[in-house]
Amino acid sequence: MSVVIDILMAILLIYLALRCMLAPELSKTIFTFFAFGLTLALAWIRLEAVDVAIAEAAIASGFMGVLLLDSLRDFSYALSKNPKNLELPENFTIKESNKSLLLPRLALGIGFVIFLLISMEATWKTPEGGGLTAVSEELLPQSGVEHPVTAVLLNFRAYDTWLEIGVILMGLLAIFAAGGVKNYRKPSMTAVDPLLRQVILFFIPVLFLFGAFLLYFGKTGPGGAFQAAVLWGSIGILFHLGGWPIFAMIPRKLRQFLLTMGLGSFLILGFLLMAAGGAMFEYPPAYAGILILIAETLAAISIAVALTAIYVYLTK
Amino acid sequence: MTDLPTSSYPALLVGLPVLMATISLFFKSRGNAVAGLIGCLLTGGLGIVSFAEVTQRGTLIHILGGWKPPLGILLRMDSLAALFIGITAVVGILISLYAWWYFSSRKVSDGKFTLFWSLWLFLWAGLNGLFLSNDLFNLYVTIEVITITAVALAVLSGRTVALFAGLRYLLAAITGSMAYLLGVALLYGSTGTLDLGLMGQALEPGATATFSLIIITLGLMIKKAAFPFHFWLPPAHSSALAPVSAILSALVVKGAFYIMLRLWTEVFGVSLSYAAGQLIGFTGAVAVIWGAWQALLQTNLKMLVAYSSISQMGYLLMAFPLLILAPGVASGSADWLAPAWTGMAYQVMAHAFAKSSLFLSAGIIVFALGHDRIESLRDLVAWKPMTAMAIGIAGVSLIGLPPSGGFMAKWMLLKGIFLSGQWWWAPAVLLGSLLTAGYVFMLLRLAFAPAREKIAFRPVPHILQVCALLLALGSFLIVLPSENLIQFLGGTESFGTGIESIMEGGVHGNE
Repeated sequence: MSVVIDILMAILLIYLALRCMLAPELSKTIFTFFAFGLTLALAWIRLEAVDVAIAEAAIASGFMGVLLLDSLRDFSYALSKNPKNLELPENFTIKESNKSLLLPRLALGIGFVIFLLISMEATWKTPEGGGLTAVSEELLPQSGVEHPVTAVLLNFRAYDTWLEIGVILMGLLAIFAAGGVKNYRKPSMTAVDPLLRQVILFFIPVLFLFGAFLLYFGKTGPGGAFQAAVLWGSIGILFHLGGWPIFAMIPRKLRQFLLTMGLGSFLILGFLLMAAGGAMFEYPPAYAGILILIAETLAAISIAVALTAIYVYLTK
Repeated sequence: MTDLPTSSYPALLVGLPVLMATISLFFKSRGNAVAGLIGCLLTGGLGIVSFAEVTQRGTLIHILGGWKPPLGILLRMDSLAALFIGITAVVGILISLYAWWYFSSRKVSDGKFTLFWSLWLFLWAGLNGLFLSNDLFNLYVTIEVITITAVALAVLSGRTVALFAGLRYLLAAITGSMAYLLGVALLYGSTGTLDLGLMGQALEPGATATFSLIIITLGLMIKKAAFPFHFWLPPAHSSALAPVSAILSALVVKGAFYIMLRLWTEVFGVSLSYAAGQLIGFTGAVAVIWGAWQALLQTNLKMLVAYSSISQMGYLLMAFPLLILAPGVASGSADWLAPAWTGMAYQVMAHAFAKSSLFLSAGIIVFALGHDRIESLRDLVAWKPMTAMAIGIAGVSLIGLPPSGGFMAKWMLLKGIFLSGQWWWAPAVLLGSLLTAGYVFMLLRLAFAPAREKIAFRPVPHILQVCALLLALGSFLIVLPSENLIQFLGGTESFGTGIESIMEGGVHGNE
């Protein structure tokens, strides 16, 4: 039975991926993308990777979906103003492929297929190493948390996670670097559909609670700072979509503090532990649980603010 | 490896620049630059101090979180890592000082330039982290840090050319990262560890190991701009701001090379073959000649310097075939390993100094004239004698004339080539030097030629020229402690783990 479900799901995934790329209208593409993300999350659950499934559902379908819907709104706005903007010119025909390019393309295609075959062979022949699951399970009681993934992310390999939190901040800086620094001005309240505002107001507490649940649940099950941050980040975005520009209302210094505190507090914790005589990120076992929860919460807030900041910056 | 002396230097080398970068974000224009410069000086000072510490105590390690590998991550600072960190520190300090005066003397202070300091500190942290890392996945994270900050720095000038070049750079770098990550996933699946040392012991020859070797090497070669993948480098490096070009060309491309060196010597021993080494060496040789030839054809100074980077980085790859023994050669007779190894180390140092100096000099010329057409170098000796001198000295080191660091590098490399009997690499080394001499003397000829008309230029702060000149002199000064440095790199006590295994058993080529 489960084999049939798996096969059906695989077919559905490929079908949705194709539809998503080939759909003639943008709106259809985006809605198919939603469905694709959710199906993919289901596939991850079938592969017994629940944490990946949550991240997939939250990021690919949730966060990306909101961003895509927003750009769709902008497109339809531009189209309604000047419908001829995006129309193809009358004499537009797809050019026949140049014959001189045929050979290199063929070579490229064959090379790609060979590469694919070799990589599949290498993947199938991968010997079973078992990974680090056994070691991490064994040392789990000393880590202060009860779920192996959280233990690996925030204790055993906290250094990697700390750097990744930094990467999100650097991504934000990189967007500023590419687009130029803009000053956030307090925009006047814009007229928004009252129904939309009601829906948003209804969803925000739900999102907040679900995020907090995922954050705390990370101690015992799949979940954690990054997943919670995505949900909290979408709260910020929903506020902006509803016409409440909360990001611009926060004073600049506080904004900077919120953005950097995840990375900064984690680092200062590491330095303090080093000053106390241990290695960087060497938690005393008795306090490991609470220290991890604090570090995670601050990181989640920082990441959420960073995601909101990226959205606000790009939609200005 | 976990019984080596522990130290907090490795953790501080990554933590301190991140802390200073975060602090500098809180300040606006002037305060930001002050905090950034202080951060750079502190990070550089720490790099030099920790280098000195390694020369005294040998390899230092830091076990993060107290969890030993294979579960945790280990930072290790052996002589090779210490050398790269030391070079980054010295070159980084001089570039930072240059950047301080370069930005503060710009009349129109664009708000974006304040991002330079935090991005550069984050990049520095990423580089230090990369040199220290002993873990395949952690290496990927440091690559990510470096890629994001390097691309952001490259587009900082805001010019359309820079944005286009930056986008291409980003796409190339991400493709490289993905290829690397795929290889890491396969290796982790087959060995169950991410620690370099443990993986080197656990890896067995087979399709998985060979495929991982190929895909990881390909990914790193894209990031290093090795020959067939060099297309992104010249536009990205030449369209960036002067201090950024120097950072990207002198330091960032070395990161990917460093990982490649580590992995080939420490992990992939079982799946390397003589042919693989020859192939890598061949791409290096082509890069040496092609890059130098393209540099000769350029009409803009910064493009010329960028193509010269492709050529000079090619020399580094030419040492790889020498490190792999041909089938049937006894490891005891391989006396060319040490010269090849030191030649490679010297090439890294000499290129870092000379190339940063050349890009900073090009920045001075752009600063004074508003453009960098090579034709405008006419009469440079008269109106900017110090810059002309810096270009001359750095150029001599690039060519490899004695007594420069570049000469040491090429001499050692040639020595290794002839000792190993792989004489077919020698013409590439010599032809590369000849072509390099061609473009360096083309610049110098113009610098000494009398001007056709009076040149109107903006005054340039004196200190900018001093920084460029000091870097150029650095490429000569590294020769002075050569005996100690060679001993440091080759000494049995503090030998890098990779070369140690090479010296002991030799990485045997498979049939």
